[in-house]
Amino acid sequence: MATQTTAAPNGVVQWFEERVRATALFNALLHVPIPVEAKTYYLGGITLFLFMVQVATGTLLSLYYKPTPEAAYDSVKYITSIVEFGWLIRSIHHWAANGMIIFLLLHVIRIFVQGVYKYPRELIWVFGALLFAVTIGFGFTGYLLPWDQKAFWATTVGTEIAAAVPFIGESLLQLLRGGPDVTDATLSRFFGMHVLVLPISLALLLAAHLTVVHQLGIANPKRPEPRPGQLPTPGLVQRWKPFFPHYVLDEVIAWAILLALLVVLASVSPAGLEDKADALVTPPHVKPEWYFLAVYQLLKVVPAIGPLTARDVGILIPMLAMVVLVTLPFLDKNPEVAKRKRPVALIIAAIVLIGMGILTWYGGQIPAVAVAAS
Amino acid sequence: MKRSRTRVAFLDRAFRIGVLSACAAALALVVAQTVLAESPSPSAGASGAASGSPAASGKASSGPTLSGSPSASALATATPKPGATAPAKIDGNTCYSCHTQIGGAQHTIADQWQASIHGQNGIGCADCHGGDPTSDKITVSMDPTKGFKGVPSRQQTVGVCGTCHSDVERMRQYQIPTDQYAKYKTSVHGQKLLLSNDTKVAICTDCHGVHDVKKASDPTSKVYPLNVPALCSSCHSDQKYMDGYNIPTDQLEIYKTSVHGQALLVNKDMRAPNCASCHGSHDAQPPTSTTVVEVCGKCHTATQALYDQSRHAELVNGPKCWTCHGTHDVVKPSEARFFHPTPPQIDCGTCHNLADKTLKLNADRFQNDEDRRCDTCHHVDSLLYSQAQGIKSALDKASSAYDLALTRIAAAAEAGMIVADADVTVTQSKTSLIQARAAVHTTKLTEVAAKADAAVAKAKEAQDFADARLAESQNRRQAMIIVVALIAVTILALVLLRRGLDHTYQAG
Repeated sequence: MATQTTAAPNGVVQWFEERVRATALFNALLHVPIPVEAKTYYLGGITLFLFMVQVATGTLLSLYYKPTPEAAYDSVKYITSIVEFGWLIRSIHHWAANGMIIFLLLHVIRIFVQGVYKYPRELIWVFGALLFAVTIGFGFTGYLLPWDQKAFWATTVGTEIAAAVPFIGESLLQLLRGGPDVTDATLSRFFGMHVLVLPISLALLLAAHLTVVHQLGIANPKRPEPRPGQLPTPGLVQRWKPFFPHYVLDEVIAWAILLALLVVLASVSPAGLEDKADALVTPPHVKPEWYFLAVYQLLKVVPAIGPLTARDVGILIPMLAMVVLVTLPFLDKNPEVAKRKRPVALIIAAIVLIGMGILTWYGGQIPAVAVAAS
Repeated sequence: MKRSRTRVAFLDRAFRIGVLSACAAALALVVAQTVLAESPSPSAGASGAASGSPAASGKASSGPTLSGSPSASALATATPKPGATAPAKIDGNTCYSCHTQIGGAQHTIADQWQASIHGQNGIGCADCHGGDPTSDKITVSMDPTKGFKGVPSRQQTVGVCGTCHSDVERMRQYQIPTDQYAKYKTSVHGQKLLLSNDTKVAICTDCHGVHDVKKASDPTSKVYPLNVPALCSSCHSDQKYMDGYNIPTDQLEIYKTSVHGQALLVNKDMRAPNCASCHGSHDAQPPTSTTVVEVCGKCHTATQALYDQSRHAELVNGPKCWTCHGTHDVVKPSEARFFHPTPPQIDCGTCHNLADKTLKLNADRFQNDEDRRCDTCHHVDSLLYSQAQGIKSALDKASSAYDLALTRIAAAAEAGMIVADADVTVTQSKTSLIQARAAVHTTKLTEVAAKADAAVAKAKEAQDFADARLAESQNRRQAMIIVVALIAVTILALVLLRRGLDHTYQAG
């Protein structure tokens, strides 16, 4: 698909080129055409940028962070109060984590609305949906690490959601917490997941996602990809624009805007720290982090259906939704990508999104019940 | 055959009705005798003679008792006999089965007993009323020769209760004290009942119930701490009932507005004192001016220790807790409570007997909360007034410093800064401020000033922490503007570069 080549340079670059032969690789990676009609809004790229920010700031934080209940809180306080620019690193990590989830969600919505998950890009979608799950896992595991009251009790409530899974709920809860309660065992395994398991998983999935994107190119949202044996629309001329440097430069501009936004947020509203976690002092209002509020609230509002308890229904709905999300390209048989030709899918998606929004808002408004009572 | 069975069933029913009717008639006879023999009962109705609060049951009046005419010897009559064996638990209780079948009020009484702490622990009807509960013949079970006493009089009731409740051996298994009866005899209630034969006063059953006695720890019990004010006021707020005792009836209304009343009745804080905490329960007495310090000091131990160091404590007839804080209307103290807005007109004779210069504190002068001030006694031109001013000034200074530190910490926290250090330090300031306020009870300026200065120092330290955090926040925001400006310039350069690329691409 390469349309341009970069001439082999002289001097030092030439020296490296002779030993690495990178020019051909870069040519293959960068010089790919993208449809002029493609409108990505840079959402995927911004998510990638935020992940890179997370890797960088997370690495710096790990130099000082101590993952034990005795030391975790004090180490975070030390990072925030004593370490030079520790507050900035931690606050950017905090805001980038939230931003990553927001932009990933927007990216998924963009892909769905444009219908570009369809043939032949089903696998891109599947990898993306799994990336979404891993990102949520990042947020969930990272939230506990400061070991303050908010972290402790939000994790307590969050892991309670897992306990609602029928049949395996209790075992899942034990697996997540490393015991019946949130303890040092929970902190250890959350830290391990956060800095080892999830980054490796995300890196592998991201590599697969981007590789397939590179191989298939960015989709044209104006027309579906021709199926095997299907001829392109007669008289239609596909116009292209270069990925590098044009599109890459657009991405970099978007990243720079995001970086400025992160700096502003970190300065105006730095990551806080509540009192040290205390299993004996339940705060009056315990809630999970905002991206779990919809599921948390759903558990409270859904009724029992037939033999299923309300709790079963409340957890089965999001589980089913996740399965539908991952397998969407295989469930949606409509080959069309134009919005006017996919009204049902778009209306269902809008209802789901509005419902999630209402549940999230509702969950944020109503004081959560104390953990002991729940 | 069928006709024969019908006849047998009819006879059986007739026999049962006959037995029940006989029981009811006998019981009615006994009750009628009792009622005729006694004065108008303080609590007529289903609960029996000793049931309910006097205030809620038409009140009691003095009169003859079953055991004879009331006199000073009543105390001895009602006193449990030393060595008297307490009644044992019983397995069969024909009283219950019979009274349940009678129905109506008797059924209610039987049910109340069964649900009561006595019923649950096998303390039967005969333990209080006498008789033979093992016999289902009314002539035997309610035979006076078998010890049947019927409904005990109010004087007898305290003795009946005391028989068991002063028996150490019997009470050991329940882990409850056995001095209630002894205390009751020393109380105003006990003295009036047993010596003056005043049956209007409270007896055991008025507070604990008659047949429906509950554990004091049962939240539905009338003697549960949260319920005590309502219990006492059932008599003490009844102006008509209290007529003749020459004590006010507005205590509950006043108490409700006090810090104690608010804590107990509104916040349900069981640590807050109820009526019995200060007046006693079984040994209820109004605290006298000489004992009030000890009464308040039961809870406010540290404050009492400070007061004991004061000049006030040394004085005969000197100021006590109530002088400055009141009694039922104790309000939250503050620095604003030192002086009147305008000093009252007082002279030497206001507080001193001019003849011998001894102190005289007229309680009426401290009746209103607004008058419980230092300058109620200390003249504005006196040295002691200046000392009080010094104490107030030291506290004002500490209080202001503490409040300012809190404001600055809140501002720093609002800016998203971590203020843990400032929080710790301001808590230390608060501790010193509390100690300084408590030191007012020593009436010593040096004591108060030392604690107040410590509070000021810690408050300033906390404020410095908070100010440093605020300054850091400010610096961060200024640096943020520079960084954002730099990024904006970079973005601008990238946009220009991008446009250039477009031109080049289109031209190409």
